[in-house]
Amino acid sequence: MTITTEPPRNGPAPSRPARKPRRKGIVRVRWYTYAVLGLAAAACIFPIYWMFVVSSVGSAAATQLPPRVVPGGNFPALVQLVFETVPFLRSLFNSLVVAAFIAVGQAFLCSLAGFAFAKMTFWGRDVLFLILVLTMTVPAQLAVIPQYMVISQLGWVDTLQALIVPGLVSAFGIFWMRQHISATISDELLQAARMDGCNSWQIYARIAFPVVRPAAAVLGLLGFVNAWNDFLWPFIVLKSPDMYTAQIAIKALQSNLSVDLGLAMAGSFLVTVPLLVLFAFFGRQMVSGIMDGAFKG
Amino acid sequence: MNAQSPMSSKMIAAALTRRRLLALSALAGGTALTATACSGGSSASDDPNTFTFWSFTGINQGDSVETYKELAPDITVRLTEVGSTQETAQALTTALAGGNVPDLVLIQAGDMPKFMKNPGNFTDLATLGADAIQGDYVDWVIEQVITPEGQIIGIPTDVGGMGVAYRVDLMEAAGLPTNRDEVSALWPTWEDFIATGQRYTEATGNAFIDNAATSVFLQAVSQGEEQYYSRDGELVYATNPIVRQSFDLGLQAIAAGITARLESFTEGWSAGMAQGAFAAVAAPSWMLGSIRSNAPDTEGLWDIATIPGGSGNWGGSYLSIPARAANPQAAWDYIATMQSPEQQLQHFLNSGSLPTTPENYDKPELTGLTDPFFNDAPTGQIFTQAVLGLEPFVNGEFNSEISNELLNALNGVESDGAPADAAWDTAISNIQTAIGA
Amino acid sequence: MTATLTPGRLRKPPRPTATRPVERRWEKLAPYGYVAPFYVLFLIFGLFPLLFTFYVALFDWNPIGEQTFVGLQNFRDLADDPRFWNALRNTFSIWIISTVPQLLLALVLAQVLNSAFLRFASFFRMAMLLPYITSVAATTIVFAQLFNRDYGLLNWFLGLIGVENIDFMSTALGSHLLISAMVIWRWFGYNTLLYLASLQAVPRDLYEAAAVDGAGPVKQFFHITLPSLRPVIIFTVIMSTIGGLQIFTEPLLLSNGLLTCGTARQCQTLSLFLFEQGFGSFRFGYGSAIGVALFAIIVVVAFVNFVLSSRLGKKG
Repeated sequence: MTITTEPPRNGPAPSRPARKPRRKGIVRVRWYTYAVLGLAAAACIFPIYWMFVVSSVGSAAATQLPPRVVPGGNFPALVQLVFETVPFLRSLFNSLVVAAFIAVGQAFLCSLAGFAFAKMTFWGRDVLFLILVLTMTVPAQLAVIPQYMVISQLGWVDTLQALIVPGLVSAFGIFWMRQHISATISDELLQAARMDGCNSWQIYARIAFPVVRPAAAVLGLLGFVNAWNDFLWPFIVLKSPDMYTAQIAIKALQSNLSVDLGLAMAGSFLVTVPLLVLFAFFGRQMVSGIMDGAFKG
Repeated sequence: MNAQSPMSSKMIAAALTRRRLLALSALAGGTALTATACSGGSSASDDPNTFTFWSFTGINQGDSVETYKELAPDITVRLTEVGSTQETAQALTTALAGGNVPDLVLIQAGDMPKFMKNPGNFTDLATLGADAIQGDYVDWVIEQVITPEGQIIGIPTDVGGMGVAYRVDLMEAAGLPTNRDEVSALWPTWEDFIATGQRYTEATGNAFIDNAATSVFLQAVSQGEEQYYSRDGELVYATNPIVRQSFDLGLQAIAAGITARLESFTEGWSAGMAQGAFAAVAAPSWMLGSIRSNAPDTEGLWDIATIPGGSGNWGGSYLSIPARAANPQAAWDYIATMQSPEQQLQHFLNSGSLPTTPENYDKPELTGLTDPFFNDAPTGQIFTQAVLGLEPFVNGEFNSEISNELLNALNGVESDGAPADAAWDTAISNIQTAIGA
Repeated sequence: MTATLTPGRLRKPPRPTATRPVERRWEKLAPYGYVAPFYVLFLIFGLFPLLFTFYVALFDWNPIGEQTFVGLQNFRDLADDPRFWNALRNTFSIWIISTVPQLLLALVLAQVLNSAFLRFASFFRMAMLLPYITSVAATTIVFAQLFNRDYGLLNWFLGLIGVENIDFMSTALGSHLLISAMVIWRWFGYNTLLYLASLQAVPRDLYEAAAVDGAGPVKQFFHITLPSLRPVIIFTVIMSTIGGLQIFTEPLLLSNGLLTCGTARQCQTLSLFLFEQGFGSFRFGYGSAIGVALFAIIVVVAFVNFVLSSRLGKKG
């Protein structure tokens, strides 16, 4: 369940000391530096490229020796086959609905709770925050059976809210937003706003959120990616193909009686494309978001 | 850790240009709006003319649904192919445990005993009229779904009569007979089948069959009077000589080196079929479709011989109606119409699934049917013979667990190099763990 | 700090209103309202299921049949169940094979990426995050093909240099390597970025001063780099432990959805075993007992982690 499983791996404490101007000639980048990095980048890109090759040729590309490494022209035909085999368009839509709700929910609810923890004093705050941090260390996966029973009691089996509601807010997200808010918004400013008669909601909506909106956007983006890629929980609660998310749909493609590899690969590629597009536009923000969230020194 | 500085958020803000932020929020806002159109899917429907139907893949129920549309134009059938037989049974179980149940569901014979244990989860079809038509179906097939109290839980849709599909061209290249009667004569017994395989492998250096687990063991073990349960329903898998003998036949085939080490329904199996990695495969009637789609370039190169031992059944399915179904009457009308002897015959002619209604077995449409993909083999005749010769055995709750562990042990020896002499003991102890005995 | 606020907003504060007593009471309750969504959802979907796991584990619980109280029988069965010990072994083996090389690789790459005057730095960073946005399901389908016994790309390469085809899925070690390769591929870039961020925070003067004092690159690495990375290393170790104990999708999809991951359960992890018992055989009680065992393991691992990292702390 999204509440505590797979907290995205970053932490708090944004800080970046200004860089000293470097002295010329001390460090020169050697050719083998590029060789190492090039190799690592190739290793990251190749499997995705290969996915496209097989989806554009068909299973013949995967079973022919020596292997074919140039894309072919069968991609439209295989994609059509994917859409005929499972209700894939519906699955992509389901994934989009789930991921979008979770992205928006996380950006809003986590920043709101983070604001309360960072800038408001209330009885029990520190204990509540400690509990929140502790929940991050227990993988909820071990309780999937009762979680399923809860969903079943709510009558949510085979519905998208079974995926959306538990994922709307995360301990990690609150933690991350709290760090950002306490680092970026000064108490004096809030004091001034309070003097002017703002209540806490107005302070959040008019001052705090606009300031941390970029951080909330990156959080939402990461929430989107994680929700889009989630497998186990949808696999447990979604039962009919009309409700499948795209990840479960490619599993269904793979487990057809006669497994066609081209089909499964085309499905996988289709599932990956939306995130690749998103990444093309916001990849830089994701990189800096992850790096800014990292522990430093 | 250092004191927190306000730098980082500012840097993100700088990196995240306003345009992109707008795009991001437009994206999120847009989907949130359209999302409301999706109410989050209950499979139940209040419309008495609509019902939901879960099937598994590879059995072509869509074809039957199409036919039904012509017969009952005002009825809407919402068919979903859930996944493999096992996945469909699992989805059904979770649905019965608290989700939205379909009105109609297809259950594979091997999964049926588990559901028979809690018949209260299903509508007693006798109350809808099944008692009147029960005599239309092969006795031992319908008896599997009648509880001791006389409730009828399902109606059988098809049986998986067995044959051996083989490649004519590969047999010829190995210097073996190619005519289907001569080929059938090569293997009256499983020992002969393995010996033929050895001749083939010696001549060509290639594997003769896909794997020992399903092309030898599973078929041999289904040819006795008893299988894993005795007539009284006692567990006898460890003591029944037929089980042990069939298992040893499987080991023998592996030791003879005639298997391609390709587990059924895996991607290697599909690819191997297209590339001639093996010359023969034990094929129930419903597998012919898979061969056709896996190896489209081999049209006309296949033929079908009888199965060693003469008879056999693999798979077969039932249609059931969950007790909580929203629209049981519409589902039952579908069963009554589509599983009538006439429609079963029609479905056989369209898709190759063998009827469970014996009155069809002598009909000229069935006996006269030939399949050009398989060199005009009289598929109707071959597969019905295999079913008529069958001596039905008693199934029980743990059929699928027992079967899976035995198949697993053989696959372990064949593909993973597990020691053959320990395989039987491994399988038995795994079964004991799995069923908690 | 007001630097990021637009000046307009400062000049035009919200209209002042008199604070009435009612509003003040609301103001006191407001923060609870703001943090409530998390705690409510956590209670329903996190804490309650966690506690209920302990309860269900005491039953023979069939979701479509009966529930019988059996006391600790499920735990006794678990202790005698070779499948459980096998899954435990597999889980730890995969966790170690995937975590250690992954973090070492990330450490090296972060060091390299931190070179001054590096061209295309942004490209390299983004390329390394690509695996992270690729779903495990898609990754598994691709890797299953790359490592395939008969037609896999890797085996073809090995064949070129005269190595016979390896059937990765047939042995425990082979399948663990394959799963670990997927885990490493997915996470090494992510961890590289985390390490890189920490490295960038280390003042360069420190290195320059050390160089002046005659410390070589190795000495610099052990005396400056490693200590500054300590918090982030502990963090990544904890995170990959939590991740490693939950590996599920890879083994499931590798074995075509068979839930055992291989004929001899050679790559069945604890998560997959839990799923097999719970949702394959519908033994909710026994499955929950596995969940409880998993919980105990996590507590032990967390304790060991805590002891080790506080030791590390004393040293540093």
